[in-house]
Amino acid sequence: MSLDEKQLASTVSNFGNVPKSAKRVPWRIAFGLKLRAWWPYYAMMTPGIIYFLVFHYFPIYQAKLAFEDFRIFGDNLFVGFKHFDTLFDSPAFFQVLANTLIISAMKMVFVFPVPIFIALFINEVRSTNLRRFIQSAIYLPHFLSWVVIAGIFIAALSPSSGVVNDIGQALGFAPRSFMTESGSIRWVVVFSEMWRTAGWDSLLYFAAIMAIDPQLYDAAEMDGANRWQKIVHVTLPGITPTIATLFILNVGLFMNAGFDQIFNLSNDAIRDQIDIIDTYVYRIGLQSGQFSLATAAGLFKGVIGMVLIVAAHTISKRLTGKGVW
Amino acid sequence: MLARNLMTTVAAVATALSLGGGVLAQDTPTVTIIAHENPGDAELFERIEAGMAEAGTPVNIELVGLPSSGYADALSLRLLSGEIPDIIYFQGADAEFANQGILEDLGPWIEQSSYIKDAMWPHNEARMENYPYLLYIFPARTKSAVMRSDWLEQSGLEAPTNLDEWTAFLTEMSQSDFDGNGEQDTFGILAPDNTAELDAIFNQSFGVSATWLEDGSGEWIHSRVSDAERDKLAYYQMLYADGILDPEYVTSNWEVKEDKFYSGRVAVIMGTAGPVVEIYRTKMAEANPGADLALLAPPDGLEAVNVAKEDRGYAIHAMSENKEAAFAVLDFLASPEGQFIDRMGVEGEHYTRDGDTFEVLPAMGGWYPRFWTVDPGYWTPPVDLLSDVAQGSLEQGAEYFVADNAFVWPADLAADVDAAEQYYRTSVFRFVSGEWSMDQWDQYVEGWYAAGGQAMTDHARTVLQ
Repeated sequence: MSLDEKQLASTVSNFGNVPKSAKRVPWRIAFGLKLRAWWPYYAMMTPGIIYFLVFHYFPIYQAKLAFEDFRIFGDNLFVGFKHFDTLFDSPAFFQVLANTLIISAMKMVFVFPVPIFIALFINEVRSTNLRRFIQSAIYLPHFLSWVVIAGIFIAALSPSSGVVNDIGQALGFAPRSFMTESGSIRWVVVFSEMWRTAGWDSLLYFAAIMAIDPQLYDAAEMDGANRWQKIVHVTLPGITPTIATLFILNVGLFMNAGFDQIFNLSNDAIRDQIDIIDTYVYRIGLQSGQFSLATAAGLFKGVIGMVLIVAAHTISKRLTGKGVW
Repeated sequence: MLARNLMTTVAAVATALSLGGGVLAQDTPTVTIIAHENPGDAELFERIEAGMAEAGTPVNIELVGLPSSGYADALSLRLLSGEIPDIIYFQGADAEFANQGILEDLGPWIEQSSYIKDAMWPHNEARMENYPYLLYIFPARTKSAVMRSDWLEQSGLEAPTNLDEWTAFLTEMSQSDFDGNGEQDTFGILAPDNTAELDAIFNQSFGVSATWLEDGSGEWIHSRVSDAERDKLAYYQMLYADGILDPEYVTSNWEVKEDKFYSGRVAVIMGTAGPVVEIYRTKMAEANPGADLALLAPPDGLEAVNVAKEDRGYAIHAMSENKEAAFAVLDFLASPEGQFIDRMGVEGEHYTRDGDTFEVLPAMGGWYPRFWTVDPGYWTPPVDLLSDVAQGSLEQGAEYFVADNAFVWPADLAADVDAAEQYYRTSVFRFVSGEWSMDQWDQYVEGWYAAGGQAMTDHARTVLQ
């Protein structure tokens, strides 16, 4: 290494960043310098990059299967939009698409805000022990699988022996079969999602609240703000960037209505109400062996998800100046 | 010098051994099998290898095991990688692989077999005629209705023999307190998930005698939109409304079904004839010491058995280099020696032997044949492996066997078949639960045709001439 490069490297390590002058050196040297300065971060990023490449980017290439007839040996046969035609002609597909959109929208409206409220609530609990107890209790469902959760909900909502109907009957309500009624099953889906994820998801917002400068609260108090006013005028604005980012990311996952959850909560009585694209792809693709048709359905879902995230990002940029890239 | 000589000698011996080993390995082909992974498999395959060597057809068998849970899905994904073993055990999704020419036509192999051709059951022969890629030499998986024999005695009733007696019998069961807990909390009958297990014993009573029925004008229609189906669903609606059918059947899986059966919350359940009925009997005796099971006869016979193809079984990879050895393994397992190994389990653990006298040990309840249970006219075990009730259920299946006229759907209709199936299943619950009245039948029929049923019917009319 020449003396200039050594000086440059020293500058980089001293200041923790690549100086502007590095742009004038050849890119290989600049890259080497950046690598030397930032290698621990690159090392930490590597597993994540590999994960996304292997499980999210390489499979994009295989999405071409949606336009082909699949062959295990030999080349697949290109068939154009045949599988999309089959999909859109399928009597069930638009029902499945509608269910996906409805369930995702319900989750967005009723589940997304809950972790924010929980984080705000936990932040207001002054007793450390009580706060820890509440946090442990609401994080717990996150570690249960949907198989277990479905079992719990089916048992709890049983019209003959479930605790929910027992309480309902004690209050004078007639027993209801929540798991088999068309009108209630989507609410069961939403509530079970909320029960499982809201506590855990509140962690991010709670962390964002912890990062708010305490001087802002002191200043608000000096101005005579009460606790409610401090929440509205200090805490909420402080976590708005986090809320915006997570909202946009959630919009990107809008079409992921929750395969495991729906699969485990589903039954013959209400399948037409909660059958979503993912469960449809599973049935058609894996159980019936129609891999190309299933890929077409999955690709359709992916394209809608991409359009949604770009749209949400663009709108957010225009309205708040903040986006995810 | 000495060290060099020693090393040269060792190298020469090692080379000679490796060459010799190579020659031996060439003589003994290796057959790979992909199937469920079970405890004791390694020992079983060792015994099969020894048995085949003794019979003059030595092979090495390598099991590629997959967990039982989610087996069909895991298998599909595994095969999609292009690494396909010589023998494949399928539990569905085999048709796509057969369509692609991956699976060997077993017809000619069976024709030339030493044992399999004689060991098959009649339904196996019919299925192999229609779909020669999958072989499963087992009794037809008919369902049998069973209940606690002491409850049957307590009721003072004769076992029902026709539909009216069945209705009266199930009503009595649901209105009594045979479990003695002081409450009338026992349902007459329970079928988990859907009405499929009820259909197994009630289809014939209402004229649902096959998947496709001829209507008044001689046209083929699916039984699911027939008057016979309507009458059957009206009957189920009555069972549900009168508290005879467990109203939570649709949210009950097979584990819940068993739990309710052993704990006295349901009187009658259906189980797959043979080994499954045996398991129910064993578990019932464990939960209620002294309790045994009684086998009930269906009111008018069992539902028709699908002979379009096996719904599970063994296939051979069409491009395998060891097809001959692979089929030799399957054929050996149908031989008397192979059957003995596969069905009797391990001596000292599952049975004892004193000369020609065999005794079954309790652990036999946890053993089941991995490959075949051949037609008893061809080979019978030296000792009864099943209890009377389980054996009776197999005989019941043989007695009421009726071949169905269902066929394998082409891949192009997969979306229609799926849509029609989902529509039917949802509609059935709505009729049974009373959410829909039977007056809405015509509306349902119209919906079924719109939900893919018309495409299915059009195709069926070209197949069923």
